[in-house]
Amino acid sequence: MFSPEGALDKNMKVLVVDDFSTMRRIVKNLLRDLGFTNISEADDGSTALPMLKEGSFDFVVTDWNMPGMQGIDLLKAIRADANLSHIPVLLITAEAKKEQIVMAAQAGVNGYIVKPFTAATLNAKLDKIFERLG
Amino acid sequence: MSVNTSVHVSLEEAKLLVEYLESGQQEKADELIAEIQSPINSELFAEIGKLTRQLHDSLNNFQLDSRLNDLATADIPDAKERLNYVITRTEEAANKTMDAVESIFPVVETIQKQIKAVNPLWQKLMHNKLDLPEFKSLCIDIDILLKTTDKESVRMHDLMTDVLMAQDFQDLTGQVIRKVIDLVREVEDSLIGMLTAFGISSEGSSEPSKPKVGDNLVEGPIVNAAQRDDVVVDQDDVDDLLSSLGF
Repeated sequence: MFSPEGALDKNMKVLVVDDFSTMRRIVKNLLRDLGFTNISEADDGSTALPMLKEGSFDFVVTDWNMPGMQGIDLLKAIRADANLSHIPVLLITAEAKKEQIVMAAQAGVNGYIVKPFTAATLNAKLDKIFERLG
Repeated sequence: MSVNTSVHVSLEEAKLLVEYLESGQQEKADELIAEIQSPINSELFAEIGKLTRQLHDSLNNFQLDSRLNDLATADIPDAKERLNYVITRTEEAANKTMDAVESIFPVVETIQKQIKAVNPLWQKLMHNKLDLPEFKSLCIDIDILLKTTDKESVRMHDLMTDVLMAQDFQDLTGQVIRKVIDLVREVEDSLIGMLTAFGISSEGSSEPSKPKVGDNLVEGPIVNAAQRDDVVVDQDDVDDLLSSLGF
């Protein structure tokens, strides 16, 4: 994931998960603006998990409230799978109860962004996540 | 077994008793004897009978209320369609807007690139260090830049207009949502009416019930953050909460 200089490798394989296609489009655009080029999409936790198991992804950006498998459950599944547990996960969601935020942190989320959000916030959280892992 | 001597058994009751016994309905026979012996029981049965009739009549009244029937069979399905319409229109508007915006980005980039390309020679000119061939080259580049910027400005203007027009969804979805709010109000009134008819007071609960949450406490976007203390209001709140817990 990291190039020899230690800088973030923006070729990393990213999976964007959200049941609304417009939100996936927005996140994809913002990530592209930041230089990420290798972005895949899933419309639910239940479709994302098999993709992750199959595909050597490096990073997951996911919504919480999805009809099939919620983002929090996807996160838990990722952390419970030895092959996937290392993948950083960023939640971008309208869910804003304090209890939920704590729940996500305890389940091992790497970042939590509430909607509506700005491009600057996304950028800052990404930096933070990958700086921490480096 | 003590005998209640103030009770008088009727001929009908006696005949019924024999009928039950002859047809082997021992339980019913015993019940009948008990009824005859304890009039209080029959008062109770009479009360229950009365309530049952009242319930039956109330239920019948509801079936006769065609407004309720309309709500269930026409208006609620209609409301669902309307809300689906809102989702569709807003999705269309979002995509239209993003299409326009995505078209504008490369235009702006092109102009920026051309300006960057022109700048070195331009700077030389500003510092009187340009020779004639360079000057000619600069003139051609600036000419291209001017023409491009002119053309692309027109395109950007058109795309911006597309963005503006894509916002028309708000008016349409606003009207549709208003209709659904009216419908919900009507259903609310009907439900309160029903509760009242059954003698259940809807003012019984002292505090308004909290909104329904799903698995993992999901609730969707919070619309009344100001009246609640269990939610965060912005990203700073989220960050503060997480760092206060050591995350």
